[in-house]
Amino acid sequence: MNSFADRFAITGPIAELRKAQANVEDDEFSDAAWGSEAGFGSLAKGIPTFTVPNVPDPSSFLRLHTDDHADPNCRIKIQHGTTTLAFRFQGGVIVAVDSRATAGSYVASGTVKKVIEINPYLLGTMAGGAADCQFWETYLGMHCRLHELRNRERISVSAASKYLSNLVYSYKGMGLSMGTMICGWDKTGPAVFYVDSDGTRLKGDLFSVGSGSTFAYGVLDQGYRWDLSDEEAQELGRRSIYAAGHRDAFSGNTCNLYHVKEDGWRFIGNYDLSQMHYEGPSGTGYGYDIRVEGRSSADAPPATAA
Amino acid sequence: MFLTRSEYDRGVNTFSPEGRLFQVEYAIEAIKLGSTTIGIKTPEGVIIAVEKRVQSPLLESSSIEKIMEIDSHLGCAMSGLIADARTMIDHARVTAQNHSFTYDEKIKVESVTQAVCDLALRFGESVHDEDAMMSRPFGVALLIAGVDELGPQLFHTDPSGTFVRYNAKAIGSGSEAAQAELQDKWHSKMTLQEAQILTLRVLKQVMEEKLDHNNVQVAQVTPTKGFEILDETKLKSVIDLM
Amino acid sequence: MPDMVSLDRAGPQQRQFNPYSDNGGTILAIAGADFSVIAGDTRQSEGYNIQTRYAPKVFKLTDKAVLAVNGFAADGNMFVKRVRQRLEWYRHAHAKDMPLRAIARLIQTMLYGRRFFPYYVYNILGGIEEDGSGAVYSFDPVGSYERESCRAAGAAQSLVQPFLDNQIYFKNQTAAPGTTHPKHLPLQEVLSLVIDSFTSATERHIEASVGDGLEMYVVLARGSQLQGLENVPNVQEMTTTSDGERIFIIRRELKKD
Repeated sequence: MNSFADRFAITGPIAELRKAQANVEDDEFSDAAWGSEAGFGSLAKGIPTFTVPNVPDPSSFLRLHTDDHADPNCRIKIQHGTTTLAFRFQGGVIVAVDSRATAGSYVASGTVKKVIEINPYLLGTMAGGAADCQFWETYLGMHCRLHELRNRERISVSAASKYLSNLVYSYKGMGLSMGTMICGWDKTGPAVFYVDSDGTRLKGDLFSVGSGSTFAYGVLDQGYRWDLSDEEAQELGRRSIYAAGHRDAFSGNTCNLYHVKEDGWRFIGNYDLSQMHYEGPSGTGYGYDIRVEGRSSADAPPATAA
Repeated sequence: MFLTRSEYDRGVNTFSPEGRLFQVEYAIEAIKLGSTTIGIKTPEGVIIAVEKRVQSPLLESSSIEKIMEIDSHLGCAMSGLIADARTMIDHARVTAQNHSFTYDEKIKVESVTQAVCDLALRFGESVHDEDAMMSRPFGVALLIAGVDELGPQLFHTDPSGTFVRYNAKAIGSGSEAAQAELQDKWHSKMTLQEAQILTLRVLKQVMEEKLDHNNVQVAQVTPTKGFEILDETKLKSVIDLM
Repeated sequence: MPDMVSLDRAGPQQRQFNPYSDNGGTILAIAGADFSVIAGDTRQSEGYNIQTRYAPKVFKLTDKAVLAVNGFAADGNMFVKRVRQRLEWYRHAHAKDMPLRAIARLIQTMLYGRRFFPYYVYNILGGIEEDGSGAVYSFDPVGSYERESCRAAGAAQSLVQPFLDNQIYFKNQTAAPGTTHPKHLPLQEVLSLVIDSFTSATERHIEASVGDGLEMYVVLARGSQLQGLENVPNVQEMTTTSDGERIFIIRRELKKD
């Protein structure tokens, strides 16, 4: 019973990691790294080992130096800010994301790939810490492949998302930050799971995650039906990301759109949000100012005949 | 060879006065009890084939698994104690996946072979304070076939942890006759199909039963399609060509 | 009891473990079709105090990979040392130099290994991919990474990056009718942009954190022409063979005030 409690205690991983640090004195490699295993030996045990500062509370140390919400002047700025969405419909799963990464108040990048291609059948989205999502979802991809080799069967979306959820839960309280949707197609059909670093895992039809999610939900909820055609669904995804990019300062630049079908995912395209504002899908822009051109209250009042 | 049987064949960690490790040598002998396994390298890819000994008509031959996938560009055929091989192949798979996780590239055939062989010597007493993985040597030999930036390659590993690259290699009970035949027939410009036919011809010569699609298994690794086990129709068509 | 009183006056005390410092400087990398330029200034400072005028921030890793490191110099130097160690181990284990994309992934895993005690470093990796194209990878301190055409990091990042967006990606520029913007710029043009970026950043950055010297590494793909590199003053070749990728370094002076 004690070991069960230890396993799920918040202090568990901290203790584990301290032990790992004690074993590996001045760097993160085991003896195996010296042999022909050259580095991958240290990973062969399963979860990679992490270096933890030798202070009473490592997570508050981390928060002090990296959390830019609490302190905008902190030194290490981890990339944040996002709008991501995914929904299930008759024709599969649509995954749409923006491409802006912010560090503090600076746009660190406008070309981030927030859809992580876990394998040809699974996609993960990135919200929260960019490195956390990139690293753990790539790591998840490795385990999905091992599952496939060992069981001669593709992992279900449910199992993959649960693997990730258990993994991040074991680091709970240590400062990981991720809100992700694991999307794919398995024996049960199209599937979307929401997983975050608090340990939440939800199965659902429609999710949006990130600072711009409220704006995306507005468009998404309004236009969502199960029987959307492929084209309608893709347009809904694009339009929702546009809306979020338009209203949320931490989202923007471009939209990446993916469609998951029975035979795996397909990249549909990359769309510039400001181009969508002025030109839209069919030549008419999404932009409100474009649609009311000449009649906006901001315009000079039309000259009226005396 | 074993006339000088002595106390020295009891422990896995004691050399005999002549400088031999008997348990390792006995493990190599265990391979010779296994079913015949053949591998052939050609410029177009590598073929590996095994004999499945179907001991009973009630046995479902499809459940015998002697060729396994390590990764999409790596396959493996085995002879000897198949249960031991499963440990080694799982290690190879984990190593291959860890490599692609850490380096975003496919592992080289030689590197994965080296990793398997590292495991082969992890018996006896533990290193440092790690737990030893096995109390005895593995009783299995592997033919590891793969394609990487150096082209198609075939490696042979044995229980002593030695690995050697071959153009064509036979292991298992019929290996001596088969190896002689391979030496005679192999040439450097073989096509993939010629190699498929050659593996089956050689197997046919050393098998006791009549060769058919139920008692052999053939796989290939090619630069374009990677690892694939030939399905029943493909296997039948090769058997017909023979 | 006077000491009791003084203890009371001291009030609660708090100490923090702060192993980090910001040593200023700026790094920058631009990828061309068959080359990559990686540059950094050589000043190391702490606040307004210049510690040294020559502390390299750009390092040759292999014959086709160069790493620029900015942030906390001690972490950066240690990190480069460890990357080089891993590259050496890889060479022994796999009998080849590590490809660029493999180095990029390795750097991610190494940075992420310190997720709970980060290296305070911003890395930019430049070099030549296996297919012969020029490439730039940029990293955040805990290992998120992305392949790009150009990237600036460090003290003058916010001065230099918008300039590069405009000059390399042609952001907010409309091509003349009937023409398109080039996908890649020629080497000479890239070198001028790099020099202009650094001289301008030196002029306009308020803290004493950019200046003194400029080191530009040029990595050329296997078999590509020198593209005028031979006529650049102060150019020095870093590679010993001319049949593989070649690396050149160009050293220039920057303002020292």
